Amino acid sequence: MAEAEKNIVCIVDDDEAVRESLQILLETMGYAVHTFESGPDFLEACGTLEAGCVLLDVRMPRMNGLEVQKRLKDITPELPVIIVTGHGDVTMAVQAMREGATDFIEKPFQEDALLASIEHALTLAEQAQRRSETIAAVKSCLETLTAREREVFDQLIVGHANKVIARILDCSPRTVEIHRARVMDKMEAASVAHLVRMALTAGIEIDAD
Amino acid sequence: MTRSPRGTPPPTTPPPKTQPVRPMEDSLLLRTIITTSPDGIMTIDADGTIESFNPASETLFGYRADEVIGQNVNILMPEPYHGEHDGYLARYLETGKKNIIGIGREVAARRKDGTVFPVELAVGEMEIEGQKKFTGFIRDISRRREAEDLLKASEQRLKQLQSEFVHVSRLSAMGEMAATLAHELNQPLAAMMNYAQATRRLLEGSAAEDAERLRDLMTKAVAQANRAGDIIRRLRSFVAQGETERSLDDIGEVVNEACALALIGARSDGVETTLALAEDLPTVLIDRVQIQQVIVNLIRNALDAMEGQERRTLRIETARGDDGTLAVAVADNGPGLDAAIAEKLFTPFNSSKDDGMGIGLSISRTIVEQHGGRIWAVPNEGGGVVFSFTLPIDA
Repeated sequence: MAEAEKNIVCIVDDDEAVRESLQILLETMGYAVHTFESGPDFLEACGTLEAGCVLLDVRMPRMNGLEVQKRLKDITPELPVIIVTGHGDVTMAVQAMREGATDFIEKPFQEDALLASIEHALTLAEQAQRRSETIAAVKSCLETLTAREREVFDQLIVGHANKVIARILDCSPRTVEIHRARVMDKMEAASVAHLVRMALTAGIEIDAD
Repeated sequence: MTRSPRGTPPPTTPPPKTQPVRPMEDSLLLRTIITTSPDGIMTIDADGTIESFNPASETLFGYRADEVIGQNVNILMPEPYHGEHDGYLARYLETGKKNIIGIGREVAARRKDGTVFPVELAVGEMEIEGQKKFTGFIRDISRRREAEDLLKASEQRLKQLQSEFVHVSRLSAMGEMAATLAHELNQPLAAMMNYAQATRRLLEGSAAEDAERLRDLMTKAVAQANRAGDIIRRLRSFVAQGETERSLDDIGEVVNEACALALIGARSDGVETTLALAEDLPTVLIDRVQIQQVIVNLIRNALDAMEGQERRTLRIETARGDDGTLAVAVADNGPGLDAAIAEKLFTPFNSSKDDGMGIGLSISRTIVEQHGGRIWAVPNEGGGVVFSFTLPIDA
């Protein structure tokens, strides 16, 4: 199911013919497409869309593309934005890239360039998705640890040996060994190195003290 | 004025150097007038030799009287008068034809240090004991000339500014029109290409008889659309080369100049114009001519809208706008906007005027947007329209 979600492309363009034709073209390429006539329309809907990326026209009357891009950050910061420039406005494109657009393409679209740009954006979206899934997985694993196991986990990722941990936590090395095995099991970690990587991914601070 | 402790007032005028002698009273009066005259007064004999030279002449020419009395008056003239004056005199004495006597004219004079200055010269003629003599009255008019020159220069500058503006704005109007056209054409072209490319893709999986031929034709259609796209792109980059010479400018000055340009001519006669320029506005990074073109355009539209009305009021305003922008507004008391027109106001080729192409406002929009600003229109309180645009204030 997750695979299908990633292939949703949103189009925001005030020109009806451009919107419709682009939708048809993207559909023949195998994407699911949502179209929006204006920035505000898109911003209203984008929170619930699960879209993979958005093609955002720069020159629109009610709210220009850069403005939409700015506001989008507050709603779905991870959504890749491809800026569409109608009149080769370099300054606007530069500004859009600085604001974090993944790419900008010029009208009229070259099929290949369009495809490459969307694929790149979707890959980024997928990576972001995978990252957030990993984080969620690590966090849910962490939640299954008991308080004592969590203490052992925190000492393990700092790199302490069992004996040291036993001293710090004031218990026998044998007890540490048992907790450790359980931590590795619950976290589905193959090695301490793997555990450390998980901790980093989940944004857990590694504190030597 | 200070008084001495004794209370004797200082004399307000210098006491006469010589006591008046009764029989000579008239002559003395005359001499006093000549001595105190603010204009230079001198006399020459029929040969052009200077006989008298009053204090004002000394100040004007930098010569002391004793230096010039007995000399030919032509030492006070630059060439060609210097060389030709004896001839003028001789011809007058011979023919009696008056060129300057009793007429007065502006001529050039030369000081002792060689500098030349403009004077107004009047010459009187007299005969004393059978001897012809001439009196010259000389007034320094360099100040007046300077003022006239300044006036002329500023008039010339205005004219030059106007013609430069007309020239540049014609060029830049062409450029802006090209940019606007490029954008407007690009939209349907983009759609066409999308449709053609989509069709070609759909035909890829098709087993229909003509599929391959159709795909081939679609490929050709795409190639042609590409060709048109290239032309537009070239046009755009060509236009881009000629544009945007941006500099930091004071918006008040820019507005002032634009008003001067837009309000030249009979159309603005009788229009009550108010300029409300906010003080202490920061400078903005703009292409001066382009922004002036926008302002001139808005003012001319306003004048057109009010034409034929009895009372015509025009208000041009600058102010600090929201979130780091400057705003310029042009308000008229014309008939206001029709709802149908209002909607397509900034779209090209939608003129409400008989003689307009309808690209003025769309060009204005292109210019303002290229500067990172916005342009819009709202109804004016009490009738008419207010057109406003913003410009971002750059740090």
